[in-house]
Amino acid sequence: MTTLIEAKGLSKSYGSHQALKSADFSVKRGRIVGLVGPNGAGKTTILKAILGLTSYEGDLKVLGLDPARQRHQIMQKVSFIADVAVLPRWMKVSEALEFVTEVHPNFDLNKAKHFLSKTNIPMQARVKELSKGMVAQLHLALVMSIEAELLVLDEPTLGLDILYRKEFYNQLLADFFDEGRSILVTTHQIEEIENLLTDLIFIRDGEIVLDATMEDVSEKYIEVMVSKDDAEKAEALNPVMQRDVFGRKVYLFEGVSREELEPLGELHSPSVADLFVAKMKEGK
Amino acid sequence: MNISVGKSFKALVKREYWEHKGAIFYTPAIMAAIFAGLMLLGTITGNNVSVNGHDSFDYMEYLPQAVEQFENLDEQERSNGVQIGLNAPMVMFGFVMLIISLFYCLGALYDERKDRSILFWKSLPISDTTTVLSKFVAVCFLIPLFYFGVLAVFQLFLLLFATVVAWFGGSSGVTIWTSSNLFGVLFNGLFSLIITSLWLAPLWGWLMLASSWAKKVAFLWGTLPIFMISVAEGMIFHSSSFIEMVGERIADGFAILNSNMHYLVGADMFDIHVMRWYEVFSSMEFWAGLFVTAVFLAGAVFTRRHRDES
Repeated sequence: MTTLIEAKGLSKSYGSHQALKSADFSVKRGRIVGLVGPNGAGKTTILKAILGLTSYEGDLKVLGLDPARQRHQIMQKVSFIADVAVLPRWMKVSEALEFVTEVHPNFDLNKAKHFLSKTNIPMQARVKELSKGMVAQLHLALVMSIEAELLVLDEPTLGLDILYRKEFYNQLLADFFDEGRSILVTTHQIEEIENLLTDLIFIRDGEIVLDATMEDVSEKYIEVMVSKDDAEKAEALNPVMQRDVFGRKVYLFEGVSREELEPLGELHSPSVADLFVAKMKEGK
Repeated sequence: MNISVGKSFKALVKREYWEHKGAIFYTPAIMAAIFAGLMLLGTITGNNVSVNGHDSFDYMEYLPQAVEQFENLDEQERSNGVQIGLNAPMVMFGFVMLIISLFYCLGALYDERKDRSILFWKSLPISDTTTVLSKFVAVCFLIPLFYFGVLAVFQLFLLLFATVVAWFGGSSGVTIWTSSNLFGVLFNGLFSLIITSLWLAPLWGWLMLASSWAKKVAFLWGTLPIFMISVAEGMIFHSSSFIEMVGERIADGFAILNSNMHYLVGADMFDIHVMRWYEVFSSMEFWAGLFVTAVFLAGAVFTRRHRDES
């Protein structure tokens, strides 16, 4: 099975507010997919639907199973980190290890102990006694010790300081990710994960506005730095966005060939953040 | 690789113990320790009690007399006396257990949403049904077992204490043990606690349902509907059967809990008919209650599964 998540016409309404409007997307094995969108765009609703935490309309299959009915089966192969706050505060580290060992068929206790031995987390400490960063480390150690096919991360580094944030993703890449697994991540700190991602999904007002691999993105979207004299020529090619940098103009083009753009100036791939801003403003 | 439901279930019940160790174990243990401490303290310092502010009273002088009186009682009376002494702490321990159980149920499916740890629990391969049932088993069996365990230790302490007192009164104290019906007291104690909790299961089930539903103040969700139904009944039918039914159920629960004591003191502790724990099984109301409980628990499972967590 190469497709881990398949969504067709995924919709969700809260009262009269439509949080998701018939979204189609898929996540294949071996990918790291960034799900990016402004607050209230429907990111969390998508994740919750995938994890069986909310009801929805439309077709959704996770590892071939129906999340609304088969959450506990799906969770044998799917791991989830919401944000640092969700580990039960009363629990001791040792109890967390014991508990997950007893309820999770794919949990490797030795692996978890190994990960924890590299941290300063005492086994007898309670979660409430740990710093935010340590709780995140603990959760990550638990999750990385689960032989999961899909890891879902919802703002996993929220509220962590910069040292932990870097370490979080580095460890994930070094000790967890391989071609047999996929990671689906939402975050506001796009810059942090930009270089890890293999796929990008943008969502705006409950609609998917971009769903592409990073290779596709860098082929399709090109940024050109143009001197003021050439600005008119550039604008004739219908850039999707423009901004001023040190007296020059930077234009972002969608689907315009390199040959056409090269005479105007230096070509770059846009940063995900710039692309995001462009896509969010599109048509508004 | 698969993990049996049984193993997950055991882990879940253990998890309840970890989370509520304070209420389940430390509360009765500390109660027992305080009672025991007070008794010992009273014995040591009580050697020179002044009665009515002047006469110094040395109870050691009276002890041999008291012990002799006790030994001269007929066997039935002696046994009753010892058993009453052993059952007396149960009134207190049982009451505390029921209060603890009430708050346990109110928090059972609410606290995890309040602190958002439900997102962690739901990230594990455990069904909502297994989770809710584990919490129900915790209130009906785990909590009574711990209260029984602590109570049993305290009852043994009472016997030992009485034995030592008997020594000072010049007796071997053997009669205290032979009159204690210790095995019967323990056996009846254990089952009274469990059966009382099962008798009150509809209450636990209802509170767990309220706990799975409440957005805030689970206590109000647990209690207000009961009063609202009573008020509505009063206004529409000018009757109060619903609140009477609830009240009777709870009163009967306390009666079952203390049934051993009730019959030891000559059946005049309660004004109502008191079922002994084994008589409960032949009561239709008991089985109807379990059926109602099942409906409430199913509702709690449904609510936990479909409640939108953010």
